[in-house]
Amino acid sequence: MTALQDWPDGSVDVAVIGGGVMGATTALFLARGGMRVALLDRQDLFRAASGVNAGTLTLHMTRAQLIPHAMRGREMWLASRDWLGADVGALAAPGLSLAFTEAEEDLLRARARIRRQAGAPIDIVPPSRAAAIEPGLNPSVRAAAYCALDGHIPAYRVGRAYAQALAQAGVMLFAHRAVEAIVPDGAAGGYAVHCAGHARPLAARRIVLAGGVWLEKMLGWFGHAIPIRCLVNQLAVTETMPRVMGSVVSIANGLLSLKQFANGSVLIGGGWQGEGNIHEGGTRVIPENLRGNLRLAQHVVPRLAQAQILRVWLGLESETPDAMPLIGALTARDDAFVIGCVHSGFTSGPYMGRLLAERILGGAPDLGAFDPRRFSPSPSLPEHTP
Amino acid sequence: MSRPERGGVVVVGGGVAGATAALAISRHGLPVTLVDEQPQAGGQIYRAPTPYARRHVPPNHEFSGGDRLRALLAASSVRTRFSTRVWGAWGASPGMELDLLGPDGIDRIGARALVVANGATERFLPFPGWTDPRVIGLAGASILMRNGGTLPGRRVVVAGAGPLLFSVAHQVMELGGRVVAVIDSGRRGDWLRLAATLAWDPARLRLAAQWMTRLRLAGIPIHHQARIAAVHPEEDGLSITISGTIAGTVAGTGRQGTPVRHYGADSVACGHGLKPATLLTRTLGARHRFDAAGGYWEPETDPSGRTSRTGLYATGDAAGIRGAAVARLRGLITGHAVALDQGAIAERDFASLTRRPRMLLRRQEHVSRRMLPLLNASASLSRAIADDAIVCRCERVEAAALRAAVAAGARDLNQLKAWTRCGMGPCQGRMCEDGARGLLAASCGLPPEEAGSFTPRMPFFPLPLAALTGTFAYSDIPLPKAAPL
Ligand SMILES: Cc1cc2nc3c(=O)[nH]c(=O)nc-3n(C[C@H](O)[C@H](O)[C@H](O)COP(=O)(O)OP(=O)(O)OC[C@H]3O[C@@H](n4cnc5c(N)ncnc54)[C@H](O)[C@@H]3O)c2cc1C
Repeated sequence: MTALQDWPDGSVDVAVIGGGVMGATTALFLARGGMRVALLDRQDLFRAASGVNAGTLTLHMTRAQLIPHAMRGREMWLASRDWLGADVGALAAPGLSLAFTEAEEDLLRARARIRRQAGAPIDIVPPSRAAAIEPGLNPSVRAAAYCALDGHIPAYRVGRAYAQALAQAGVMLFAHRAVEAIVPDGAAGGYAVHCAGHARPLAARRIVLAGGVWLEKMLGWFGHAIPIRCLVNQLAVTETMPRVMGSVVSIANGLLSLKQFANGSVLIGGGWQGEGNIHEGGTRVIPENLRGNLRLAQHVVPRLAQAQILRVWLGLESETPDAMPLIGALTARDDAFVIGCVHSGFTSGPYMGRLLAERILGGAPDLGAFDPRRFSPSPSLPEHTP
Repeated sequence: MSRPERGGVVVVGGGVAGATAALAISRHGLPVTLVDEQPQAGGQIYRAPTPYARRHVPPNHEFSGGDRLRALLAASSVRTRFSTRVWGAWGASPGMELDLLGPDGIDRIGARALVVANGATERFLPFPGWTDPRVIGLAGASILMRNGGTLPGRRVVVAGAGPLLFSVAHQVMELGGRVVAVIDSGRRGDWLRLAATLAWDPARLRLAAQWMTRLRLAGIPIHHQARIAAVHPEEDGLSITISGTIAGTVAGTGRQGTPVRHYGADSVACGHGLKPATLLTRTLGARHRFDAAGGYWEPETDPSGRTSRTGLYATGDAAGIRGAAVARLRGLITGHAVALDQGAIAERDFASLTRRPRMLLRRQEHVSRRMLPLLNASASLSRAIADDAIVCRCERVEAAALRAAVAAGARDLNQLKAWTRCGMGPCQGRMCEDGARGLLAASCGLPPEEAGSFTPRMPFFPLPLAALTGTFAYSDIPLPKAAPL
């Protein structure tokens, strides 16, 4: 290994741990708000969930309570040039969620109703309308939920734009730094961030934990015992194909996401599970689930039967016991924060990150529903020793 | 996907290493299955010739060696699955499982022990025009000629690095074609030094001397320390610009060789040596190391081919490029080692069975390792890759785009891949990884091993979706519980 670049002198205002969409956005807006920010990741930026996800900008699949945030996040992605400084290739597209059986139609209607109440413009349309929007669909569709505000974004492209924006905003980027412990720094009143490969810890006045699926252990450093479930989501991509579809397609129970990118490749996802181990690394496809996922895709867009599968991969997504995000302060002193476990978090990520930055910069956005202290109201942690 | 067969030993790769290993394993009474994507055993060197090639290519020891290998396999208890490719691999402890695509569709096979003998992959260093269909790999050209009896063109420029250069030139002449020129990125002195080493291996020395003499007698120009700067399509063939050496860049001056010559030809056969095919061993989690002399990653193995993962072996060129003679010896020793590890033979039997092969191997290894640097001109050539050269042909990514990504902070191959799509296409980086690694390392002064390698993903080659889905009804699809509201 090349020698690791050393920490800056003195302490930083905020150390953000985790360079996915949540941490990177928070860091970006904190720096723009005038803070001295260090962003640490144990690998390169956007290499975990935020770099390998399906990139669906979706309201159909977002949890109903998060719809307003997802709508904001989607708008931000579509206007990435304005706030990120680069066009990341986000495209607006209509979204369809389909029902093939009576039971699915009931589910579809129920889910659409709840989402509509939360502000998503979702309507149930007859098969003829669905076929007009997406001519490649299987004609056996019974009913479809239609949303004009969907879209997609090639997730792997986003990291590079962030790397540039962060550098421009003056964020000190420390890749390949695995944080091993964070302890209160009695003398200075902040925290000492200990990393593998560094004898000396980084000194930071405030901490933001944005470690994605690895959050559980990090929360423990602050005395919060919150079990974080890890979903091992599977994706498959085809070779570039002539145009087979133009919308984003899912099914009523949410277990399919299907779209064709500008380069012609079709991405097949929907949260089918594989195996993975967040501690030892490594993931493994469960072949029956791969087959199920592909059969569903082929059933929905029959022309995919002619496709060649180019790649299958898995990504890790985090979930809390109530499947709602963790965003907010972790300590009574208001100097350590968490952001993560956001359902369909890529869609709303930029907005969520901006909200937390606003909060840390002294604003008062409504983060009540996401307060991590709902799980452990009085953490057992050592607050600062006087 | 039926329930996988279990229990046996599986050998992937029916070249000389794999076939020899499978034969040895079967001789010790263990059930063994040999899987190969070719319709017959033989691999690269012993690949079965077409009937046309048998009539048109002068008989050679490789035809007869291959025929003997195939006869031995046919007479053995080795189960063979030809025209079958491995597209996925899982570590299912104990043992492993492989996903196959064969003549009857997809299938899965379980392995108590797995011998990876899938040989080598050809290495390319890009130049503008290398994506023209008339530019082919040295190994590809060799297969076309030797096993197909067909010339890549009447007039052929042979370029790149390593002994394959002279072998291919020789084959072109043998089939009545014209070698326009040989462009070697190595130094003349390297070959002379090699001749001294080859004294250890008189057979190889004789062969090499024959090839060289023949080229010299025919008056074919041989340029050492030279490279192809560009290839342009013309109406009646290709126009090839040869650049002087990369000596300037080697010394670190950054100066690029000046064009010295132009040639016209029907085709260019070029390649910069070979590297082990490591997709399987990497997917299965064996430890790998970067061999600086060869300029490639190889699985870490003990002298018998055991990797860091129990039950997983790598042998032949898949464990490091050493050539056919070594591959046979390695395959033999690995086969006996599998029998030992599976309890089919005792330690004593293993020692006596492998005494002579191990002795021969030590001699041969010495020569083969000395040849490695000749096959590895990449480090010095990478800096010279022209900005407008396509590096990743699947995704059409040019060198300039890679250099821009490096300038933006990319420091390893996977980051480069995410930022440029280099290596994201159907070949999964097999063609572009070396060019990209060399370029990344050269651009920021990193040792090449720190640039890493592209993470392997399944399927190992594009897989028809319909092969995976089969026939089904909607009601057959197990739909898990709906996502939370
Ligand atoms: C396969 C898949 C498909 C998805 N599809 C979609 C979709 O279509 N639409 C959508 O909206 N959402 C989707 N999601 C969800 C979305 O990707 C996530 O919600 C979001 O990316 C989470 O961002 P994050 O920043 O919280 O986590 P991550 O992106 O995982 O970032 C966490 C970072 O923390 C770092 N880290 C961890 N531990 C340490 C440590 N000790 N020290 C230093 N750094 C550390 C990690 O290296 C990582 O970079 C999908 C997720 C997956 C996995």
